[in-house]
Amino acid sequence: MSAVALNVKDLSVWFETQSGRLQIVDNISFSIKAGEATGLVGESGCGKTMTAFAILGLSPASGGTVESAGIEIGGTDISTLSAVQRRRILGRDIAMVFQQPGTALDPVFTIGQQISAVHRRHAGGGRNNTRQAMLDALEQVGFGQPGKIAAAYPHELSGGMRQLAMIAMATVCKPAVLIADEPSTALDSGTQALVLQQIKRLQADHGTAILLISHDLSVIRQSCENVMVMYCGRLLEKADCQGLFSLARHPYSAGLISCIPQISALKPSGINAIPGQVPTPSALPPGCHFAPRCDRAVTRCAQSVPGFGAGSDRGSDRDVACFRPL
Amino acid sequence: MHINCPPSNPPLLKVQELSLSFPNQEHAVDRVSFELAAGKTLGLVGASGAGKSSIARTILRLAEPYAGKILFNGKSIFSMNREQLKEARQRIQIVFQEPSASLSPRRTVAQTLLEPLRHFAIGDANYRQDKIRQTLQTVGLNHDALQRYPNQFSSGQQQRIAIARALVTNPELLIADEAVSALDVSVQAQILQLIQSLQKDHGIAFLFISHDLAVIRQIADEVAVMYRGQLLEHSPADMFFSRPAHPYSKALLAFARFESSARLRTDQLPASQGPGEHSSACIYAGLCVDRMPVCERLEPEYHKIQHTEEPHCVKCHLYDEVHADDKLADDN
Repeated sequence: MSAVALNVKDLSVWFETQSGRLQIVDNISFSIKAGEATGLVGESGCGKTMTAFAILGLSPASGGTVESAGIEIGGTDISTLSAVQRRRILGRDIAMVFQQPGTALDPVFTIGQQISAVHRRHAGGGRNNTRQAMLDALEQVGFGQPGKIAAAYPHELSGGMRQLAMIAMATVCKPAVLIADEPSTALDSGTQALVLQQIKRLQADHGTAILLISHDLSVIRQSCENVMVMYCGRLLEKADCQGLFSLARHPYSAGLISCIPQISALKPSGINAIPGQVPTPSALPPGCHFAPRCDRAVTRCAQSVPGFGAGSDRGSDRDVACFRPL
Repeated sequence: MHINCPPSNPPLLKVQELSLSFPNQEHAVDRVSFELAAGKTLGLVGASGAGKSSIARTILRLAEPYAGKILFNGKSIFSMNREQLKEARQRIQIVFQEPSASLSPRRTVAQTLLEPLRHFAIGDANYRQDKIRQTLQTVGLNHDALQRYPNQFSSGQQQRIAIARALVTNPELLIADEAVSALDVSVQAQILQLIQSLQKDHGIAFLFISHDLAVIRQIADEVAVMYRGQLLEHSPADMFFSRPAHPYSKALLAFARFESSARLRTDQLPASQGPGEHSSACIYAGLCVDRMPVCERLEPEYHKIQHTEEPHCVKCHLYDEVHADDKLADDN
């Protein structure tokens, strides 16, 4: 049994606006063990990225309030750190890879300079030591000629190579936790497979705990052991990946899975879709937020909020926030 | 030397030996030929930079090729005069990837939908009002959307508006250039449902461009695979997904199915290659796992494969009997 690397307790994020409070992340808790990859899946605007930012303590540009009962990395609470203290752990204990590698890299420095800067700041050591660590990091993510990549500027690399360079930068200090926010979404399928393959290797080689955020369930299925389904700021189902795909218990999870297009030998006769639309944060329905789109909803669903374990308990292999789970 | 395939009778769109270049790319599109029959969907797949969008833009005559022809309903769009071209463009519409970038933020939905009707002088004021309401209903939006602006809609709704704008002129051909790639799976499924029903109810032909093979599987009747400007395989969808012929098609399918493969290396990403130089070799020879000596010497021709009644063509030496024997000799 490996130790818990990341533990998030009762995390909420909201914005105060003229028309009232917008709840973006609603009281979520989860933990990830060292060497495990957990996927966070949900549609655009459901609060996935805000969850990541809140964990890192990066406050959103337009204000917003983050509240939690603790965010622990290896047992140390980081939610109460000052900005100076926080800068010491970002990149060293916890790192993040963003969706757009083009905007996350600085165009005026070479890849090597940018990765070295991270290592120098956190690990110190001599120039040769830093350079070696930088080259190792590039080699780790699969570059055959790390020296050549190190000398390149971001615009000289393709999107996939930039994303791999970002992963090298995030992992040069071998952090305990890596948050990857849609790391492969902007890439085409060949490159996507490669990026995910490299993230898996880091997990295996260094025992890094990974939080992989994606709207694409098939990406999570292929790279994670566990998965959490998020909808309108709440976690609806937490399960192991195998379990979720063989039997999704929350109707929303089941709907999401049935939407994934499959490459089958025969052309599918019809396309499944969840009716209706995701409500906006300013007009969330009361009770279970998914109730208006749910074909299993009863009166109770629109009146009170189901917590984990609200439904009939058919085996406790997972957490489902539903009064009438499948 | 060139086999046009598969023949369809009569083709709504016929692209013949189309070649296009850009200042820094000599062969953005390199001698591409295909046909699309009325009411059918052709899925055009390939990595970024393969030339898929360039073909779409050329069909709308937004880009000029240096060689080749495009026939729409039998007429070459490059020999059309202004009036004929306007008429053709009314029949060919396009939907782009980013709905927020293709809708004017300063126009209401009503203004956006009326614009094509005004431009093509279709109907009178009453007809236009009826038409935009009816089209909005077709794409699953309410009348109260008319007076709102694009930023008041979700991206899925914005894409519905972009589709509605393309539909108001009653097109025969709709080009969807990565039209669902930017959407969440659940919204993507809704838009694909919409496209399928449009095809059933209105008989619209689709040129569906996507890098996502799973999406192509849902709606395409035929699949054409592009690599660095060239069309490497064109086959019926069922054939493509069960028995792809070209080594590149096989690799694409393997990637898409997440079959991890030992030969996948960072320095060899198919996507990191631009359109190729004109050389005497097969354009895919460098990365091909089935490479034979002849592949480096000679550009392959299109070979017709006849597993079934339906035509299937592939640009690869493996399907050339003489060279396939070479391959066997090499293996021994």
